[in-house]
Amino acid sequence: MPDYHFKATKTLDYKRPDITNGYAGQTLYVNLSDGQIETKPVDAKTKKTFIGGKGYDLWLLWNAVQPTTLWNDPENALCIAAGPLGGTPIYPGSGKSIVATLSPLTGSVIDSNVGGYFGPYLKFSGFDALEIQGKTTSEVVVFIDGINEKVQIFETSGLPDNAYELSAILTEHFAEGKPRNVSVVSTGPGAKNTLLGCLNFTWYDPKRKRARYKQAGRGGVGTVFADKGLKAIVACWKTVTADTNNPADKARLKDVAKLHSREIVELDPKQNEMAKIGTTHLVTIMNDHDLLPTHNFRYGRHDQAPNLGQEVYRRLFDPGFDGCWMGCTVACSHGIKDFVPLSGPYKGKKVFVDGPEYETIAGCGSNLGIFDPHTVAEMNFYCDAYGLDTISVGTGVAFVMECFEMGLIDTTHTGGLDLHFGNRDAALEIVHQMAAGEGFGQIVGRGVRKMKAIFAKDFGADATIMQDIGMEAKGLEFSEYMTKESLAQQGGYGLALKGPQHDEAWLIFLDMVHNFMPTFEQKAEALHWFPMFRTWFALCGLCKLPWNDIIPEDNKDTAEPAKVMKHVQWYADYFSSITGIESGPEDLINMSEGVYNFQRIFNLRMGFGRREHDGLPYRAMGPVTETEYESRAERYDKQLSEIYKFDIDEKSTAEKLAALRKHREQQYDTLKDAVYNRRGWTNDGIPTLKTAKRLGIDFDDVVELLKANGVNS
Amino acid sequence: MIQVAGKQIEWREGMTVSDLLAELKDPHPYAVVRINQQYVTRPNFEHTYVPDDSEVYLIPMVAGG
Repeated sequence: MPDYHFKATKTLDYKRPDITNGYAGQTLYVNLSDGQIETKPVDAKTKKTFIGGKGYDLWLLWNAVQPTTLWNDPENALCIAAGPLGGTPIYPGSGKSIVATLSPLTGSVIDSNVGGYFGPYLKFSGFDALEIQGKTTSEVVVFIDGINEKVQIFETSGLPDNAYELSAILTEHFAEGKPRNVSVVSTGPGAKNTLLGCLNFTWYDPKRKRARYKQAGRGGVGTVFADKGLKAIVACWKTVTADTNNPADKARLKDVAKLHSREIVELDPKQNEMAKIGTTHLVTIMNDHDLLPTHNFRYGRHDQAPNLGQEVYRRLFDPGFDGCWMGCTVACSHGIKDFVPLSGPYKGKKVFVDGPEYETIAGCGSNLGIFDPHTVAEMNFYCDAYGLDTISVGTGVAFVMECFEMGLIDTTHTGGLDLHFGNRDAALEIVHQMAAGEGFGQIVGRGVRKMKAIFAKDFGADATIMQDIGMEAKGLEFSEYMTKESLAQQGGYGLALKGPQHDEAWLIFLDMVHNFMPTFEQKAEALHWFPMFRTWFALCGLCKLPWNDIIPEDNKDTAEPAKVMKHVQWYADYFSSITGIESGPEDLINMSEGVYNFQRIFNLRMGFGRREHDGLPYRAMGPVTETEYESRAERYDKQLSEIYKFDIDEKSTAEKLAALRKHREQQYDTLKDAVYNRRGWTNDGIPTLKTAKRLGIDFDDVVELLKANGVNS
Repeated sequence: MIQVAGKQIEWREGMTVSDLLAELKDPHPYAVVRINQQYVTRPNFEHTYVPDDSEVYLIPMVAGG
């Protein structure tokens, strides 16, 4: 056990408000530059417009920063919130926290959702959201003690850097014998030394007697955290029951919670068995449909993919209850016990790996041409411990591997690392270098967008081909799905507010496999409804898995099976029962629409929210190289002749490749038109004044901003 | 005999997933089924045999990550 020290430098004693219908009614503000700690009331207009969770985060952030604020300026705020439904232990998936800040990767707003107990404990301690501004050169721990009604800033020394040990030590330190009362938010050395830092949010696993964690991974939120001098934020709370949120109608809450919870218990074993294998079932399913990214998104299928599939992880996962929130019957947060890494500081030691999930398997496995579950688990373990986002790491390393194979970079640039696809040792070595801020890993840790510029400027690499194969948009690395054959999912990624993450819209199966949305208008409608409904989960502090990963048996016979309307109605009942605000399914969409449009306008304020920023690398739309084309020549030839009426006779692969590209780029552009129109935006992708007014987000500074950008009606 | 979606279906030699779905007369465009613990996807329906005494689950695949 390290010899560590805590010194309290600031303390706020406060009177904890009663939670009323899911709300504490105030937020907590901490400034690390001057040690200021204060509470701020939430007014009725803010509550009505922003609902909670991500909505509250965005409003706090909007008021904290200026259009010129950079991610590492002291005024950038790191905001964390649950939502009004967050912390309900009887409704599955009700423990999410939502983090928002200005991203070091995109320069604009990033939001990332995560399990663990922190968000609910923060709220029950008396705060709907936490806003941290300022920076310190010391290492500090912010402690929110809801039990003793005290918020403290501690200067610390001697604590380990990595989140694996740090989480365990801080849990024990603050637990006073009750570790389940503690949730720790921390990052690791990789967050300090890269722009890809994630945050680890803990919950205590009484069966395994250890602090487990989930990650707020995307967009470098951990890097902001580390840059502020934060070692950790700790929340402490006691028993949680269905009464803790003080619901408006407890009987109604219990009824709807029981329906959803029981349905999951009954149907999950008949469907995807997430309580046993998490999201690993997706690996082979995606692979069979040519959707599993392999070799930097070149291809969607590989013969060795089953080596990373559910049957392997079914054997590797330690059996037992793995809910990242109390009482969640999805319970998908599995882990590997007694795992022994073959590299790095834990080489030869037994550790517990939290994961992997599908994204990590695809990102750190198949997309790197690595089909060895042990390497994936080791990448997973070290990324978490170092505070690195497994998705950005996977997509970033995949990019450099392809650059290496194409001869755009070589061993003189990589510090001698052989970065051919499939080189497991090299992939792990890059992760260790990222954490240390050394060697080639230091460059990879800057993310794909910055790597493209560095490789072109310093190594003389071809910028055009890198633009096509560097899988980032808006500066954020793609999450792990192939989109070449699904125009709707190209929109799901390219039109997502924060960059290409699938948490706005995952439409691949509906579009590509089921062909439920053949027209542009149908795709645009889906790219309206799905992002809005998924935004609602982030407003309320919920996980989306119970909505559409376990599905009622009669769902297929409903008018709109993709929306799983039976569950949407349950969510409306859930919201009504907690908040006392009677709501139907359409009301949930309306709640989200205001926040969604506000975030788009926030992007505009930071210089990013226009049509030109919704572009995609061509690899997301189609084959970049002749080899890619030829690997699926039958498919592409058929599309060219039958859909685009292009005469392929006697045409070279290069000619066909160019023709296909022209059509596909045109399609994506047409899709943008349709989506902007459906969302009530201008042709340049900016919400109109009329839309802002309709949604009640026509604040003075919003109107001024829109007018300054030429939007006057 | 095989069990599918709560129903007993007579098994026959050489029965594929496609044959089974046709027999069910269920128009839903299933993309994935699970035979016991093994996932089978639509591209493989025609050449995947359903073993006797197996349990088949029809997976409504609308969600991803």
